[in-house]
Amino acid sequence: MSSHFSNEPMLEIFIHETSQLVEKLEQSILDSEKASCYTLPAINEIFRIMHTIKGSSSMMMFNNLAALAHAMEDLFFYLREEKPKDVDCNSLSDLVFEGVDFIKLEIIKIKNGEEADGNAALLINRIRHYLLSLKKEDGKLDLSPAEKGAEVEKQHYYISQDKPQVQVPQNHYHAVVYFEDGCEMENIRAYTIIHNLKDLTSEYVYYPEDIIENDESVQIIREKGFEIYLQTECSYQEMNDFFMKTVFLKDLKLEKMERTDEPAWAFRKAQKAGEEAYKERSKASVETALHREEKESLSTGHPSIISVNVQKLDKLMDLVGEMVIAEAMVTQNPDLVGLQLDNFQKAARQLRKITSELQDTVMSIRMVPLVTTFQKMNRIVRDMCKKLDKDVKLEIIGEETEVDKNIIEHISDPLMHLVRNALDHGIEAQEDRHTKGKPSKGTITLEAKNAGSDVVITVRDDGRGLNKAKILERARENGLLYRPEEEMTESEVFNLIFLPGFSTKEKITEFSGRGVGMDVVTKNIEAVGGTVTVDSKQDCGTTVVLKIPLTLAIIDGMNARVGKSCFTIPTTSVKQSFRPKATDILTDPDHNEMIMVRGQCLPIIRLHKLYNVQTEVRSLTEGIIIMVENNQKTCCIFADELLGQQQVVVKALPNYIKKLRHIRGLAGCTLLGDGSISLILDAAELADYR
Amino acid sequence: MGKVLIVDDATFMRATIRLMLERNGFEVVGEAENGAVGVAMYKQCQPDIVTMDITMPEMSGTEALKAIMAYDTKAKVIMVSAMGQEVMVREAVMNGAKSFIVKPFKEEQVVQTLRKVLSV
Repeated sequence: MSSHFSNEPMLEIFIHETSQLVEKLEQSILDSEKASCYTLPAINEIFRIMHTIKGSSSMMMFNNLAALAHAMEDLFFYLREEKPKDVDCNSLSDLVFEGVDFIKLEIIKIKNGEEADGNAALLINRIRHYLLSLKKEDGKLDLSPAEKGAEVEKQHYYISQDKPQVQVPQNHYHAVVYFEDGCEMENIRAYTIIHNLKDLTSEYVYYPEDIIENDESVQIIREKGFEIYLQTECSYQEMNDFFMKTVFLKDLKLEKMERTDEPAWAFRKAQKAGEEAYKERSKASVETALHREEKESLSTGHPSIISVNVQKLDKLMDLVGEMVIAEAMVTQNPDLVGLQLDNFQKAARQLRKITSELQDTVMSIRMVPLVTTFQKMNRIVRDMCKKLDKDVKLEIIGEETEVDKNIIEHISDPLMHLVRNALDHGIEAQEDRHTKGKPSKGTITLEAKNAGSDVVITVRDDGRGLNKAKILERARENGLLYRPEEEMTESEVFNLIFLPGFSTKEKITEFSGRGVGMDVVTKNIEAVGGTVTVDSKQDCGTTVVLKIPLTLAIIDGMNARVGKSCFTIPTTSVKQSFRPKATDILTDPDHNEMIMVRGQCLPIIRLHKLYNVQTEVRSLTEGIIIMVENNQKTCCIFADELLGQQQVVVKALPNYIKKLRHIRGLAGCTLLGDGSISLILDAAELADYR
Repeated sequence: MGKVLIVDDATFMRATIRLMLERNGFEVVGEAENGAVGVAMYKQCQPDIVTMDITMPEMSGTEALKAIMAYDTKAKVIMVSAMGQEVMVREAVMNGAKSFIVKPFKEEQVVQTLRKVLSV
């Protein structure tokens, strides 16, 4: 970036705002395309967005961005002003989307600290051509010289002349005004002078005359200055003061003259009529503006919003987490046991109440509705429908559901994969749907809802459904079958598609089918402690359900003790806990311990062995077995005893431990109420541990 | 003297102008994101000078200017415009805007414009 002010916070605001605007823009285009027409409010909005992007990026010296935004702004300006009929909505949307994509790409480059060096020239040219073709179709282009003439006629009101010419003031002046280089719009600046001059006198002429209509006047003013002849009663000093007030004044030549050149005054008389008409008009518009202002000031009670750096929120969350623990350490302090402390208990209760309110509030600050994530899918569906020649409607339900900001980042990619898969593999071609007697328009439904401390996101299509035989065949080929085929339930078969290296699509398409999609989904969702399941019915469709915790920061955990150590298991993955009977315990030929639970043989993981903890409870029948399940895999964890269940604040393992070596089966750690550290177990990793 | 109200729908532009002004001893007393809010805030904060964007949702800068001028005939409003908005800037000047700056502008241009208009 070659900007004259490379302020980091400025750049951040620029990136943030521009990306938000682009999102809004995309939505606006999609809506318009759906309605297959661009309504005036939509055109207005797009125009404004382009205008803002143009302004901001030109300030940041991202000239290619500014140029592109300018071209788009021109296009939508024309649409707004001329309201041409028969605009080809499709090609317009395509064009605008290309622009949006360009802007997005540049923003990403800027974000990554690279040079925003994309070349928009071709695209700008195409936008210009499109605009030209619009004008041609409209017949506006051929008319334009004549029309321009008419406009010039209309705008000849800029010289005020209200007073009768009889009172001829005594003093005559000649002034030449030079503006500073680079102040732009010199013609309007000249106009400003003339406008202000009206307060002093009504007798003046100036050169160049056509300061508004003629762009060349800018050049003339730049080179030769702006010349004014005027008659007034004011003294030289007063006139000099008047001109010195001019903003961006570089030089002024002001001289008093003996008499004026009479013919120069003559031309103005004809213009009186036009001016009157204009005054009426502008008066009317002031009134309507005032009316609107009255109405709008009533509704000015808008919520004031500030944007906060996420890192600060993370820090705040961390602190509140610490405080929750500290609160527990105080109120459940072992020193208090057996003491009669009424006042202390009262204060402690108050502290607990406030702490939990604080915790809820901080959590809610971090909550972001899924709406933007969901709406991104609209664009994907649109693009794919066009390329694959399918007709698919995206239905969005419950987009107001909120999840933690960190989680949103993790589910955007998986959702994209799922929607792509549904459209590419799920929804059939139009003819196929016809022969099956389905509506030719396919439907993909994105649904989000709260379920306890989880958010459930469903991606449903009404396509051909999963083919069980094909899945099994593919699983066999790739050696992914972990159990005999005939023993597997239907849902187990379907869930095979989430295993790494699985793809049933023979042909690799542009959008999906590289055979990495589905296991990326699983990985991403598991990374935030969620689960993925799939259900399907032949020719009726496929449903993928993502279950995601509301937040990563606080989980419900089951605490278990091993020797003097404490472990926490996320309650979501705990299926049951029990004390085993000696008869249920088996040992396989490799001396791995197994246990029979309801006819299923499950591996036992002894925590004291795995993490080398000293404990007296070594016999399985004396301790407790906790059965955990994650992603269809089940195992049994052996611990000394259960301590109970509580909400715990998840902390990542400190870096110095992580760097030392990767410890299997640990998701993080937490502090318990008594100040001791508990390790949080990762059920999925443990289940894999054989 | 030097209380400024910034009216602009773009957060970035508001922040930029604020930065430029505060570096030069101006006091930014308010920021408004559209014309309607701008007018309301003008009445509330009574600034010495206003920088007013032209293209904004809800109520455009030109309309807000008219409303402010109707409320306070001595109001000093500077339009923030972009190339290609000559017609609108002229209309603004006719309706009482004291001056204008053109995006992309430099810090000294903004500061000079405000100082000059304030000194009148």
